[in-house]
Amino acid sequence: MSFEVFRDVVKPIVAGFGITARRLAEQKVTVQYPDERREQFDRTRWRHVLTRYDSGLERCIGCSLCAGACPARCIYVEAAENTDDERYSPGERYAVRYEINMLRCIFCGYCQEACPTGAIVLRKDFELANYEREDFIYTKEMLLEPIRR
Amino acid sequence: MVKLTINGIELEAPQGELIVETVKRLGLEIPVFCYHPRMKAVGMCRMCLVETGFKQPDGSVRMMPKPQAGCTLPASEGLVVVTDSEAIHRDRKGVLEFLLINHPLDCPICDRGGECPLQNNTMAYGPSTTRFIEMKRHLPKAFPLSQYVTLDLERCIQCGRCVRFTEEISGDSDLAFRFRGAEMQPSTFQLTDFESRFSGNVIEICPVGALTSAKYRFRARPWDLETSPGVCTECSNGCNVWFDHRAGKQVRINGRANDGVNEEWTCDKGKFGHDWYNSTSRLTKPLVRRGDQFVPASWSEAYEEILAAFADKGGKVAGLTGPRVSNEGLFLFKRLFSEAFGSDNVDHRWRSGPVPTGPVPRPLPIASLESKRHILVFGTHLAEDLPIVHLRVRKAWSQSGATVDVAYSAANEVERFAKASLRCRPGAEAALAKCLLGEAVWSGKATVSDAVRAELAGFNADSAEEKSGVSGATVRAAAARLGEGAVVLTSDRLLDAPEPPSAWKSLKALAEATGSEFVCYPTGTNAAGAELLGLVPDHGLSTWQILEGCKDGKIEALWLVEADPSSTHDAALETVPFLVYQGTLENEAMAYASVVLPMAAPAEQDGTWTNCEGRVQRFRQAIAPPGEAKPAWRVFAECLLRARPSTPFFNPGEVMEEIARVHPVFAPAQYSLLPEEGALVARESLVGEPAGGGG
Repeated sequence: MSFEVFRDVVKPIVAGFGITARRLAEQKVTVQYPDERREQFDRTRWRHVLTRYDSGLERCIGCSLCAGACPARCIYVEAAENTDDERYSPGERYAVRYEINMLRCIFCGYCQEACPTGAIVLRKDFELANYEREDFIYTKEMLLEPIRR
Repeated sequence: MVKLTINGIELEAPQGELIVETVKRLGLEIPVFCYHPRMKAVGMCRMCLVETGFKQPDGSVRMMPKPQAGCTLPASEGLVVVTDSEAIHRDRKGVLEFLLINHPLDCPICDRGGECPLQNNTMAYGPSTTRFIEMKRHLPKAFPLSQYVTLDLERCIQCGRCVRFTEEISGDSDLAFRFRGAEMQPSTFQLTDFESRFSGNVIEICPVGALTSAKYRFRARPWDLETSPGVCTECSNGCNVWFDHRAGKQVRINGRANDGVNEEWTCDKGKFGHDWYNSTSRLTKPLVRRGDQFVPASWSEAYEEILAAFADKGGKVAGLTGPRVSNEGLFLFKRLFSEAFGSDNVDHRWRSGPVPTGPVPRPLPIASLESKRHILVFGTHLAEDLPIVHLRVRKAWSQSGATVDVAYSAANEVERFAKASLRCRPGAEAALAKCLLGEAVWSGKATVSDAVRAELAGFNADSAEEKSGVSGATVRAAAARLGEGAVVLTSDRLLDAPEPPSAWKSLKALAEATGSEFVCYPTGTNAAGAELLGLVPDHGLSTWQILEGCKDGKIEALWLVEADPSSTHDAALETVPFLVYQGTLENEAMAYASVVLPMAAPAEQDGTWTNCEGRVQRFRQAIAPPGEAKPAWRVFAECLLRARPSTPFFNPGEVMEEIARVHPVFAPAQYSLLPEEGALVARESLVGEPAGGGG
């Protein structure tokens, strides 16, 4: 084995393994997804949620300001009037249909910013993959937070 | 003209012009709430404050110590106006802060949010924060003033636009202010229903969300809507409207300015009458009858059935159209019958009386009513039949000082401002017209031919009481007011009265003999267009003859376009062997049909409509027709093509070019020439021509 072969081939390989061996002692940066999940930053913006008040009433009043603010035009809101028998939100108005097209959404968070009642928020659930395009239209039922008991 | 200075710019303005208007012409803006260009200025909101001063003889300017309201300030010589100073900005901020004290700021749920003058002015001129921490005024929310108008008192800024509208424009004075100070609220007297025929307009002129539409309530926000310029097709006024739609559904109708037609107003019939666009009983597929059932068919199957029943049957087939078909559709309908079917039995007239023949006078433009000295409204419930013409007649009275007489058999809105009401017995219209003419003749005011004179024997003011139920003095005075500069105005409702030809002829003779103008406005949406396009039989059968013919078996196939005579002539529809019903909605006539064709509504197709004054206006397609529905003109064009192969029409513009070729009066209505505000097509040139689209 000539000196050149040792210098250009063997030494870099050994040095490379050396780096790997040193790093073995350090903490790993990868996680074993999906068994393990990394904690996300506080301001991470992923899946939308329509929140409720503590009383269980919906915060959303169907004002459509989110749809107006949305740069991707992916929100569709249809409002209706609360009655005393059927009350969804405090006040006069509630959203009878609330749909977000997740394929179009760019997760900019403008809807959250525009919302006057803090109803729509972007939470940390990022696993949004699906098989059918239709399944990416998130309806109000899918977006609405379950009533806490 | 006077010279004045605005923000250092010297300009000339007509003396007395209000400063808000002068400033607008400069391209600057003064924020306003209570001021409306079509109503008297009252200076209630103080939003339009400007600094003023006067040029002194030595050239210096002496400013006034306090600002003045620009909406009540007339332009005068040497006036100096400042709209953009530090002090004015402070004043506007103060006014807005004051207006917002009791405003609930529930913009997110308010239907006005997004197109609200208060919101816009606050964004542009107002304070960014509030200093008001006390309790706001609390009042009932969503109070139903009527089935159309919802009142939210908390939002009201007491500008008085709605109250002034009902006093000055619609004239019903249904709204007034109750209480005073912060408690002041617009409402009806005695809290009755707000029953104006024009109540929808107050929704549009309200500068806040205090008056909102009950039908549009929470249905959409302005930024959700697509807006297309349109023409209202509910009656023959042809009002210009904004057709607002969302996701292919009609949502609301707003007034669009056209000074020749509706200025900017709409009537409730038009503003709230377009719900049928979204009806679940819209027809979406061609249907053919198989035994007792309808089965969905393709268009070509339907055409084949129709052509088998209609083609070359000559006088044994007939067609009747309703009012909402476009000019292009009507023209091709006539051509289809005359060329492909060889039949002259087409008609569009549904008034119960036979229609008088002879040259029809050219209708007066609606706007010209304003300049008339005297208007006699005869035999028509004007506010019901032609609401926007009613507003013009009232404007002629209120703003140009015209006198108005009304002769009708029931209470009507014109009576509120009419000098005299000639309320005759129902059915006595013809007698009353004769009495008026007789009185004009016997008093020497008018001269008529001897034949007419002979017919008038016994008809005069003295016999009016007995013959029509109107007092002699009233008839005498009303006849005396006719003459140069007067108009005798009626609508085709007159033809529903007994003896329609007699009433119509006497009325026309009355106008001609006294030197007045005579105008008979049709009430069907496109009746004027149908008249111009010759959709009346030259030698064939008219509407009632056709329906009688169906009963007698003389007519073997009948084609109904958007018309339903089943309530009066169900026997005819039952007897006729082959019935085509073409329409937008399911209805009673459909039950007798052999073939049902779905039709696109006016907003779902490109086309032109002719209003009562003969104005052709284009309505471009706003939304898609439901299912397989097709515009009427396309159906007729396709039938025509199957019957007689020729170059097809690809779009309504080409049809209009053909119309202009056959009926030269329509030349200005060709799409490339048609202005945005529509073109008045002259009728006179049609008289004497062979009527009809024989081509």
